[in-house]
Amino acid sequence: MSAVLETRQTVSFPSPEFFQALAGIMNANRARQEQLGYIDCVAVFTITDGAGGGKARHFRVIFEEFAALEAREIDDAMADEADFALAGDLATWCSMLQSIVVGNGRPGLEQTLNRLSHMGTPMKLVAGDPLKADLFFRYNQSLQEFINAASALDIRFANPG
Amino acid sequence: MSVRIQDMQPLPAAIALNEEGLANYEQAYRSHYKSWAEVLERNVDAIRRGQYSLHWLNTDGANWGKRAKPSSRGMTYADINRIRGYGDIPNEANWFNFAPRGSVREPYREQMPTIGDYSVIDKNELWAENVITLYEEAKARQWNATRDIPWSELEALPDDLEKATAQLCTFLTEVEFVAGDFPAKWLYRIPQDFLEVKSFLATQLMDEARHQEVFRKRAIAGGGLLHAAPGFEWALAAILEAPTHTMGTFLLNVLGEGLVLSIFRSGEMIAKTHVDKEIFRRCLQDEARHVSYGVLELKSYIANHPQREAAIEELHRFSDVGEQVILTAFTEPALIEPIAVLLGGSLKQIDQGMDGLQHMWSMFVNEYLQRCECAGFDRRARCTIPLDFPWGQAA
Repeated sequence: MSAVLETRQTVSFPSPEFFQALAGIMNANRARQEQLGYIDCVAVFTITDGAGGGKARHFRVIFEEFAALEAREIDDAMADEADFALAGDLATWCSMLQSIVVGNGRPGLEQTLNRLSHMGTPMKLVAGDPLKADLFFRYNQSLQEFINAASALDIRFANPG
Repeated sequence: MSVRIQDMQPLPAAIALNEEGLANYEQAYRSHYKSWAEVLERNVDAIRRGQYSLHWLNTDGANWGKRAKPSSRGMTYADINRIRGYGDIPNEANWFNFAPRGSVREPYREQMPTIGDYSVIDKNELWAENVITLYEEAKARQWNATRDIPWSELEALPDDLEKATAQLCTFLTEVEFVAGDFPAKWLYRIPQDFLEVKSFLATQLMDEARHQEVFRKRAIAGGGLLHAAPGFEWALAAILEAPTHTMGTFLLNVLGEGLVLSIFRSGEMIAKTHVDKEIFRRCLQDEARHVSYGVLELKSYIANHPQREAAIEELHRFSDVGEQVILTAFTEPALIEPIAVLLGGSLKQIDQGMDGLQHMWSMFVNEYLQRCECAGFDRRARCTIPLDFPWGQAA
């Protein structure tokens, strides 16, 4: 019997590599996605002060069927074309991800995506119309598990401004 | 073993049969409807003579020969509807039996029964452009209230929070019954030419059955069901008794389920256990599909109605009443108080919870009005639900 040495990927947050790593984990666990069901949407995760100087960074993930087809950083204009964006400041994102890591893939009660965004603060759901906003709800469990996969990563957090 | 005479019970009375109903059925099928007897006679005669028909091998009038190909998701309705002859959804149904759309059925029309209850014949009264997508999504995203919720991790809450959770779950159990009964009532009235809508409504029924199941289980696992309420009942009755499918769908899916979706999201937000979080998260996904169907069904109805302005005015008249009746549920102390307790964190902090509820109320109403607007039904000037929660205004 041979021991298997698991290596955890080290990524910075915020970065395209972070979201690409989450996409990779999602795509490697297709069986779980098939249990959860289709997810068809273009989601943007916005760190409102992620670029320093009060500028935002946007990361777009294209979900289709059971996979994350693409994860990349985009500019402000492209962010508007997504179905919805989930926007929060760096401190909020870091706090949520740390909670997920500590909870081994399960965020604290106060740190779920819906919990953080429901009242419009500290995260905000931004969508062009109610039907697009509803996509965030229709796929909420899948999106939560997409983010929960951060527990499998070694994350180097940027310092909140 | 001996039995004492005095302990013996009389035999149960004969079960009363529905004599009148049975007699009517016999009368109808033995003497009124002639066609079936002729079909039976013809069939039996052919069988007795050992004579094959093989007419079903004839593809004249059939849409035979083009084979449907599955997409990456499997074989969806969208995939088979691309084949000529199968995806033509009539604007007005004129088949009132079970003969499948796209089959060879015209030669047999006169010999077939007519089901009088198939009364929703106008496509605009039920179609939504996203209904096929939602049906596939609903099937793919089903979950199991027995196994998919980590029930063994359920933690006991302080008494006030446990009771508030149980009361909220009692309300949701009550609500989810009508959310199932409404599509059930109309499902039966929709002819099979609109099979995609019937299929979607069947998933909505399953979703709502699961919701009443999961909230009933959650309440009983935490201590028990608490209070039903007259306000809930009147709101639910108004949905069930809506005069048309579109009006009822508007009241249930856009207003009612839109509000319930907000309650689910709030429920997830204020949940005090991971089990409750998971329940609300799963339910809100289902509810969002129903809301999405409701918005686009309303949009299709308004956009395609030959007398658009008159139809909108009728919807306003209906909403003037409907909003007020729905408000009887959403002003019930048995609903707003437990939410306020959960929001505040304890019964002692119910006032702080009520502050949070005021914020939520504005959000609920605003989302409702946005959905109406998205469907082409501007309700802002006529909405009878107060935009701000009127808590304590008269004090």
